[in-house]
Amino acid sequence: MGAYVARRAAGAVPLLFLISVAIFAILRAVPGGPLAMYAGDPTVRDEDLARLERALGLDQPLPLQYLAWLVRFAVGDWGYSLASSQPVLGLVGERLPNTLLLMGTVYLVTLALAIPVAVVAATRQYSVLDHLITGATFAAYALPTFWLGLLLILTFGLQLGWLPLGGMTTPGGDGDLVDRLRHLVLPVVTLSLPGIAHYVRYLRASLLETIGQDYVRTARAKGLGEHAVLRGHALRNAAIPLVTLAALELPELFVGALVTEQIFGWPGMGRLFWDAATRADYPVLMSLLTVAAALIILANLVADLLYAAIDPRIRVGA
Amino acid sequence: MEASTFPGRTSLIRTAAARLAALFAAIAVLLGACAPAPAIPAPATPAPVRGGTLVFALSQEPPFLLPGYTTQTAAGVILNTVFDGLTGIDPEGNYIAILAKQVPSLANGGVKMLAGGRMAVTYDLVDGVRWADGSPFTSADVKFTWELFMKDSRVVSREGYDLIESIDTPTPVQAVVNYRQLYAPFLTRFGAILPKAVLEKEADLTKAAFARLPMGTGPFKVTEFVAGDHVTVERNPQYRNKERPYLDRIIFRIVPSKDAAVAQLKAAEVDGVWSLTEAQVPDIEKNPAIRVLTAPSATVERIELNQAKPGDPADPRIRHPVLGDRAVRRALNLATPKQQIIDKLLFGRAKVGTSPIALGWASPKGLTQEAYDSALAAKVLDDAGWVKGADGIRSKGGVRASITITTTTDDRLREQVQQILVDEWRRIGVALSIKNMPSSVLLSNSWTGGDPRKRGNFDAVLYASTPQVDPHTTMSQRYTSSSIPTAANSGLGQNFTRFSNSEADAAINEAGLTADPTRRADLYAKALRLLNEDVAIIWLYDRQSIDAFRSNVGGVTGNAWLAATYNAADWWIKR
Repeated sequence: MGAYVARRAAGAVPLLFLISVAIFAILRAVPGGPLAMYAGDPTVRDEDLARLERALGLDQPLPLQYLAWLVRFAVGDWGYSLASSQPVLGLVGERLPNTLLLMGTVYLVTLALAIPVAVVAATRQYSVLDHLITGATFAAYALPTFWLGLLLILTFGLQLGWLPLGGMTTPGGDGDLVDRLRHLVLPVVTLSLPGIAHYVRYLRASLLETIGQDYVRTARAKGLGEHAVLRGHALRNAAIPLVTLAALELPELFVGALVTEQIFGWPGMGRLFWDAATRADYPVLMSLLTVAAALIILANLVADLLYAAIDPRIRVGA
Repeated sequence: MEASTFPGRTSLIRTAAARLAALFAAIAVLLGACAPAPAIPAPATPAPVRGGTLVFALSQEPPFLLPGYTTQTAAGVILNTVFDGLTGIDPEGNYIAILAKQVPSLANGGVKMLAGGRMAVTYDLVDGVRWADGSPFTSADVKFTWELFMKDSRVVSREGYDLIESIDTPTPVQAVVNYRQLYAPFLTRFGAILPKAVLEKEADLTKAAFARLPMGTGPFKVTEFVAGDHVTVERNPQYRNKERPYLDRIIFRIVPSKDAAVAQLKAAEVDGVWSLTEAQVPDIEKNPAIRVLTAPSATVERIELNQAKPGDPADPRIRHPVLGDRAVRRALNLATPKQQIIDKLLFGRAKVGTSPIALGWASPKGLTQEAYDSALAAKVLDDAGWVKGADGIRSKGGVRASITITTTTDDRLREQVQQILVDEWRRIGVALSIKNMPSSVLLSNSWTGGDPRKRGNFDAVLYASTPQVDPHTTMSQRYTSSSIPTAANSGLGQNFTRFSNSEADAAINEAGLTADPTRRADLYAKALRLLNEDVAIIWLYDRQSIDAFRSNVGGVTGNAWLAATYNAADWWIKR
């Protein structure tokens, strides 16, 4: 097991290197660049742009720029934002707790609701309830988050006045726990609904398949109660694909939610990325994308290990 | 959306709001008045209230809050409340004294022309001004600001500052700026003064704490900067006008989605929203609790027509086979229904364009462009020998009147304008096809980056541009023949249409060497008349800037040249 993890980790290093080269190449192939934002300004002359280019090190040959980033990144120095001059790690430090709060809540809510709903749907296959759940999950799955988010804002924020419309806290307020929770509700609902739908579809199908298996019939024949059959035999096997799915989505805790953070004005990682992308803020983008890639590789490893832990038929490193 | 906010107060800002500015203009016209209009309170609003917090929604987050180090408009909105310039701009586009006692001019002796074409500008500073930390504001701060801008490579533009030879500070309240040569737009410089005592110790200002929590001589100082969430400014107790500001604090809340911002305004979660689109207005103006403030802005939407044969790069000596003919350009202008576009697509919230200088002291009076007349357009083309073929498209000498129009992708309004043009121009026998590009390419202004306008690789391009309150840079960069980007000059200049007229060149160049504003305005008007006679550019409309406030907010007037916060000291809110 330890050897397996070590082998996978060793394989990840060259992969990450290649990914970072690809990210760098793609970022630099995009037209524009960090100085494009000055293009419309009549006072910014070509000589000013040339000076800024030198000041930001953008006049260096591209391979050198990449190497400079790589050397620093390898020792944990993520560099400075071209736009704000803030250290990239500092920018991440400001946003990551907000994203962890939002995405972590979404993650828990999604799992906590998806599992019972899927069980209900699968155990009552083709009942009215199952059809309702199936219909609702398809609808929720099809809803674009920007639309759902605005709809929730207009309904529960504006029309009914139950919940705040955006931000993390009330401006000028003391930001106590109740205030923070109230601000959390709508973005969490927006992000959870499609996730729940997604998981329910998976788990329901997986459960139905397991329920039809011989060993479930055997368990029932032994005289086990329906509850014990479900929990001990059907669900445990049906959950295997769910675990993979859930583990693979772990990097989202870091990446954040691009669209939902925009709509709800949530100061998270998704917006940090978006702002950096619109400003072609290379150091921020390079670090965020490389770390996201690393987390995805890590999540894959975690998924594989969890898979083995849950399913005794699978042995890692075999 | 990035536009000039450099340097702070004296810059032009695309997005500002001014109901009163429009009122002033209307009243001035009605009365034929030349006396300055008195402050008119908003209709049926009670007297100003002291104290309180106002929440203002900003759609962009400023990277940092340093005047001169960013051109982001959203940063300018906040910087307006913190920093003062020596001079500023009033809503009508006139220079006003702020930290200086008077606006220096030749007439009042503040500007002196010296031997060798040099120029000295004397600023007498207002007495007793203090920085928000209590230390005195002096002429040394003025000198420091210039030195900083020339020393720090992260400053965005050094225009004008690099023409200064030295600054003398004979007394703490007098600064004499010695320019190496005549620099006509000198009043646009020193739009924000930075505190020497605080900043001279900083090795890298953009990384200093001051960059996020600055203080100046303005009515407020920044007390909180929560990344991605909000920036709070609080009353500056040292502010020179003891009666101002009315508000205790303004919270600039970052609300990236403008639709969400409008919803927050309706729910009174925010008290004001910066920079809305025309399409959002019909929905909110029905709401009695909200006041929509539209102000004219200096931004002019236009269609620039390439007079050179497109190439990469184009050779300006080779005429465009279709658009090189003035008759075609004239016909296209005649076939462009500007008022209809404004009424249908902008809900009436714009003005038909006539020149690149829509507002201000240099705006040419009485300059026009022929109004929509499709029949006349067809006749112009007939007379010029463009004959309609079987498919309804004209041709002349084997050249088909078929061109493309390019604008920025993902801009719904511009795409709708293009659709109208395709129909209208086809009716007069000109085939128009659409080929849009991301703004990062089309508006990159980069010769090496392949901006097709720079390279001359386009037929017609639809976009907007905003001049400064002093239009000289715009005029010389865009409408002189020496500013045609070519391979020979490494793509310098922004004369994208390849308009070339020696009389216009002479007028613009003379204006740059003239100190008298009236004479300068005449010279620019002459050049623009020649530009319009050539129909080099179809001026579509002058954009307005639109902000919205809860109706319990008072004192907001707007300024076409600056963000609405230019007079935040006068804002108040009744809770």
